Amino acid sequence: MIADDDLTAALTALRAVGRRSSVARSLQGDVEQRLLQSIVDATASLFDAEASSIALFESDPDRLEFRVAAGAHGAGAIGLVVKPSEGIAGFVFSTGQGLAMTDVASDPRFDREAAERTGYVPRSIATVPLLDDEGSIGVLQVLDKRGSPSFSLRDMELLAIFAKQATTAIKATRVQRDSVRLLQEVLNQIGDGAMTEEQVETLVTEATRGLDEESETPFWHLVEHIAVLRGLGERELSLVSSILEVVARQAQRARRRA
Amino acid sequence: MTGLDLPAWSEPFTNIPSLARQLRLQGISRDWAWGGATGAGIKVGIVDSGLEASHPRLAGRVVQSVAVELEDGEPQVVPDDGQDLYGHGTACGGIIVGLAPDVELVSVRVLGADLRGKGAAFAAGLEWAIEQGIRVLNLSLSSKSDSLLPVFHELVDRAYFKGQILVSAANNVPAPSYPSLFSSVVSVAAHGEPDPLRLYYNLAPPVEFGAWGVDVPVAWKDGGSTVATGNSFAAPHVAGMVALILSKHPDLTAFEVKTILAAIADNPRS
Repeated sequence: MIADDDLTAALTALRAVGRRSSVARSLQGDVEQRLLQSIVDATASLFDAEASSIALFESDPDRLEFRVAAGAHGAGAIGLVVKPSEGIAGFVFSTGQGLAMTDVASDPRFDREAAERTGYVPRSIATVPLLDDEGSIGVLQVLDKRGSPSFSLRDMELLAIFAKQATTAIKATRVQRDSVRLLQEVLNQIGDGAMTEEQVETLVTEATRGLDEESETPFWHLVEHIAVLRGLGERELSLVSSILEVVARQAQRARRRA
Repeated sequence: MTGLDLPAWSEPFTNIPSLARQLRLQGISRDWAWGGATGAGIKVGIVDSGLEASHPRLAGRVVQSVAVELEDGEPQVVPDDGQDLYGHGTACGGIIVGLAPDVELVSVRVLGADLRGKGAAFAAGLEWAIEQGIRVLNLSLSSKSDSLLPVFHELVDRAYFKGQILVSAANNVPAPSYPSLFSSVVSVAAHGEPDPLRLYYNLAPPVEFGAWGVDVPVAWKDGGSTVATGNSFAAPHVAGMVALILSKHPDLTAFEVKTILAAIADNPRS
């Protein structure tokens, strides 16, 4: 079993990390979603495409979920779920090999069912994998360039660059999302395998409960206030900023006097 | 960290280098290399998503189908039912039969619902194909698992020394990919000239050859067809040429085959 001291230290660390990532989330909103959205927006605009979308791999059960989309015919793709063992998205995800296809709509067998669920059946599709060090984490897809019936090698190269950007963004923001999973791993390591998965799960749940309401120091309170202020207009923000300036000057004077 | 400090991906194959300084191999012409050849007597393995044996473009040339399955996490090679999950393997097989109509195709399926492109399954399928002595292997997929680097390295060397030709599509995204990075494979990227026999030799490795891979009309699943772009579709053009060469000159080594490919490449010579 884990020594009590180890456990207390782990739980303290766990609460601190959980609290910070929760504050970071409230400050920034869903960063991953926003970054991915900006990437598909840029992709659709650069390629002058009817649609651009990103699907990410999720497990239990294994699936590719279309998370963001852009372009005139993109919206229908959001929320679409496909199996990794099916279709172009599945193939590109599974092999890490990008490819493009044209004449898609003229072939009645070709992914038509999935395409129809999005409300738009494309003529051409380019798909590249989102690759990190471990392998594929999803795909980036572009449908129908308006100026051209198909995708060139240069297009594929550019798409790969966008995919790289998307992968970097996802990796950076998943640190937040995965903090609980990370802590479970830490606990498992401290416990040297002595705890069952359920026990670890219970501990983590217990340790992270109510984190959002609890404040560690007045400083984190302040951060949370600032998060709320983000919603204000320019004039209000400028006013708040002036007030804070006065407060900060007061604080400096007080420190000097002390 | 990757095990090899090399550029791992293909740039678009657009600047064709001149071979003025290269090779005094004028005696080797395309006619010498494969004139009159049909691919007869040569087995070509397609390590991919399966081959749809009944597809008209494969013209009944599929002689065997196996699949890698995971049993308790261990890859096993088992008989397969002649289907293709995605259409990709059939596309590659169709390109090869189009160039070398009398080859015998062997499907080695390493993709599937439970495999999801796992590098270990790919390695197991490749090892099986090498053990079977299948002369030409088309690898229009790759693994980026650094932990499998030594496994693939050992396998491709084994094939090279046995005179088997591994034709490997370069990755078209900036990431390491095995085995296309190894010098003992014939690595291929796409060019955009619509000619199945147009071949370019690249003087700046790791990608050594360029073949047609843009808007290629290909077979797809359920007896269908489509038009596809990617290095995936360039590699089988080279695999088809290699099958032609070997059916006419069966005793060639892997090194000799590569040299012949360079000698008959369409690069400008002045």
